[in-house]
Amino acid sequence: MASSQTTTTEDRAAGHARRQAELRKRSSGRLMIFGFLSPSLAILLFMVAYPIFSLIYYSFYNFSALRQTTMKPVGLSNYTFLLSDPELWQRFVFTGKFVFICVTLQMLIGIFVGYQLQKNFRGRDIIFTLLMMPMMLSPVVVGFLWRYMLNSEWGIVNYLLSSVGLPKVDWLGQTNAALWAAAAADTWMWTPFIVLLATAAFRGIPETIYEAAEVDGASPAYRFFRITLPMSAPVLFIALILRLIDSFKQYDLFVALTGGGPGSSTETVSYAVAKTAFSYFYTGEASALAVILLLIITGLSMILVRHLTKMGEKY
Amino acid sequence: MTNARTSMIDLATRWLILGLLIVYTIYNVGPIFWLLLSSFKSRMDLFSMPPKLFFTPDLSGYQSVFGVGAAKDSASAVGVFDSLVNSIIVSVSGTALAVFFGTLAGYVCSRFNFRGKGDFMFFVLSTRMLPPVAVLVFYHLMFARLGLADTRFGLVLVAIFANIGLATWIMKGFFDGVPKEVEQIAIVNGYTRMYAFTRLVLPMVKGGIAATAGFCFIFAWNEFAFASILTTTQAKTLPVKISAASGATGIEWTQICAAGVVLIIPVLIFFYLIRKHLLMGMTFGVLGRR
Repeated sequence: MASSQTTTTEDRAAGHARRQAELRKRSSGRLMIFGFLSPSLAILLFMVAYPIFSLIYYSFYNFSALRQTTMKPVGLSNYTFLLSDPELWQRFVFTGKFVFICVTLQMLIGIFVGYQLQKNFRGRDIIFTLLMMPMMLSPVVVGFLWRYMLNSEWGIVNYLLSSVGLPKVDWLGQTNAALWAAAAADTWMWTPFIVLLATAAFRGIPETIYEAAEVDGASPAYRFFRITLPMSAPVLFIALILRLIDSFKQYDLFVALTGGGPGSSTETVSYAVAKTAFSYFYTGEASALAVILLLIITGLSMILVRHLTKMGEKY
Repeated sequence: MTNARTSMIDLATRWLILGLLIVYTIYNVGPIFWLLLSSFKSRMDLFSMPPKLFFTPDLSGYQSVFGVGAAKDSASAVGVFDSLVNSIIVSVSGTALAVFFGTLAGYVCSRFNFRGKGDFMFFVLSTRMLPPVAVLVFYHLMFARLGLADTRFGLVLVAIFANIGLATWIMKGFFDGVPKEVEQIAIVNGYTRMYAFTRLVLPMVKGGIAATAGFCFIFAWNEFAFASILTTTQAKTLPVKISAASGATGIEWTQICAAGVVLIIPVLIFFYLIRKHLLMGMTFGVLGRR
């Protein structure tokens, strides 16, 4: 009887100590969470949240950065003006065409090359690093490099075309040719990215699955379309979304390659934001356009993050 | 008979694949080769038709980038070397700070569950996706008001914010690869969590920190949109400076090509050093964990 009483007291004391320790641990954990996150959070609130809320605020005003004293609230008219502006729709159509061509080409070429490069061979690291080179350049340099190569008179591309008997093309002087020129430059730069991801995805497929298919006498096409592609689909999907987002907001490349021209026919949505804000100084209107752009990109990002977190749980 | 035909088709497919790979390699490597070649061309050789493969190398492009030799005083070369210095200062300090903050945040996101963690992680990553021009509309005003316009400090701030998300996610990936038992054992043995983090866990992710720094450096080094709008004279970085390298005689192609080569060299070195973590860096620390 006495002994059982002592045990309960001891138990209680031990329980108390454990709870104390637990509490201390939890509060030290809280301190760590707070201490470790707050610098990042502070910077991001100041550099992202504050600007975005300000943009939303400005988007309801008629306002120019040049005359900051006169701010007139105009309600939704910046938005209604933009959405009824055929020129803006043209920017969206152009951006859409550019995104579609770029992403399609990059995925097709990237998957093809990645499939061929999945095997181990000597010097693979070096060859891979060399293949990745376009991705390492600054987008402005890429823009200038292609502008240099695509010059209609003395550019190397037209020289090569004419040396095999094809007509010279005024690459940057016509809207359609300029669209394809920009797509060629973007594809040049970013296909290596798809190659990188696709190769890794293909190499992650267990050999035993292929061996089983081999036994069943599967053709190479069957192997590729029924095993390789479906099994690497999650990774390829992430690659696709990343390229969608990046090409949709493309700005640097066009500054250096086409300067938005000929005329204003190769202006992307991002380019239009920059032009409205920093050439015309229609800050209110630019803010509204920026908000629209942000909404689209945030939508795409949400899809991306959902898939990334799902992958993170699986691997 | 059928066998012969199948092997014919096989052979044809193999040649077709080889042919396509060669075409892609030319498309991939050709422009880089042309960039390197053109960076050594004089103005005369640059515009010659047919384009020259062999010529006497002209170093004026590199001279103006590094601010040495005869070409450093030409009108288009003024301030180019300063912009290279700006690029180095901004990207190195921006990288160091982004990796520091990202490592702290990444550790907490890897080890703790807290309210709003998912939202925080989304918010952090979404900064990586943000179209620069959108926030620039406001930065343009904010930087002028705070006296940050055209300063290196302002650009460092941008480099931190632009890379913190990437750093956090990649570092979370590396921390996820370290077993939780490391801290548990340390705590059982009477050490604090802070001790376990700094003395045990951090040394285990040294390679990861280096790789993260490599990635942040590459992005900061190549950044153009922010630097082009937020600088006017003093704080221009090299990518911005060369985009304005059009003198009285038109665009200074030799100088642009030389700057392009100078810009790619550190990136190439980093890429090779972090090649094992390339996949991880490109997928925000989600894939390719080792």
